[in-house]
Amino acid sequence: MSRCWLAIADAAPKDATAIAELEDVAGARAGVLVAWSRRSKPVRNALRADPRIVDPAGPAGWASLVLVPPGVRVAFDDLAVQQARRDVLAHPRADAVSTLLRDASHFDGAITLARGEEGRVRLHDDPFARVFPARMLRLGPGIIGAPPAPVGPTIERYGSANPWPWDRFG
Amino acid sequence: MSEGLPFVAGDVFPDFELPDHGDNRRRLSELVGDDPTVLQFYRGWWCPKEQRFFRRLVHLQDEAEVAYARFVSVSVDASTVSAAFRAGLGARWTFLCDEHRAVVERLGLRETTDTVNEPFVPAVFVLSPDLRVHRAYNGYWFWGRPTAEELVVDLRTITRKIRPDWDAPTP
Repeated sequence: MSRCWLAIADAAPKDATAIAELEDVAGARAGVLVAWSRRSKPVRNALRADPRIVDPAGPAGWASLVLVPPGVRVAFDDLAVQQARRDVLAHPRADAVSTLLRDASHFDGAITLARGEEGRVRLHDDPFARVFPARMLRLGPGIIGAPPAPVGPTIERYGSANPWPWDRFG
Repeated sequence: MSEGLPFVAGDVFPDFELPDHGDNRRRLSELVGDDPTVLQFYRGWWCPKEQRFFRRLVHLQDEAEVAYARFVSVSVDASTVSAAFRAGLGARWTFLCDEHRAVVERLGLRETTDTVNEPFVPAVFVLSPDLRVHRAYNGYWFWGRPTAEELVVDLRTITRKIRPDWDAPTP
């Protein structure tokens, strides 16, 4: 079974499924966001994401990237993470969202994506940014997908190894 | 319970496509996915009976959010109206909008006694993932609508049928 992995890298690797240039809000280069579709973990800092958020033909836009700080462990079922998932369902603003996972029990972050230059405005109230600080990044074309919005009201993962909001078992 | 509705238990509900509260085109079969689903048709934001029934569903969503079941609500309200109504209710599921009344006619679910709003007749269908109607509730009269307990029983029955590991694996 193929999995979707995301990582920020300095340069584009040859085996990537999708790549987009990254800039911070000041316009300084911040590396590249890389997506892989494969079973095994491609690089040490890669995290699993819902594969539907990736589209190699996707347009430019913005990302709100929340990463759990090094050394901190937060259960995926932590009440703050549960509430962030509820808030995503209650107030949909972005074009794509995925929690980020390293294993089956912990929350390792979230990425929320909005297409277009005005997308940044829609990311200002990222619910996951209330759990840990978000880093706002401008994304070049080549990675942002347009998956259907979660149907709701499910906040649970479909199998603990799968990122939310992926919505099928198996 | 299902008298007067065009679809009864055992029927396969017709698949249809409508814009959701965010104005994205959505197909019923895609929304249902692989889960049991409560498909609710309601008159509109203005109806006191709907406002009361929604409070029942909003209460039930706190259980459904951890139970792998889905809700879909459908009306003739416009997307912006549905989005505002949904936000006011605190509903965290998908609302579909048949503003141009294409689907209400196709499904034969127009409430003929309201010639002003031409809404859906209030009805709830509990669906299996294959869109088969497990149970239909005619909500024209308020007491025809399902209680939360009835919906739980319906969702449990479908879940037991479709989840191969309903009987928890044991050593």
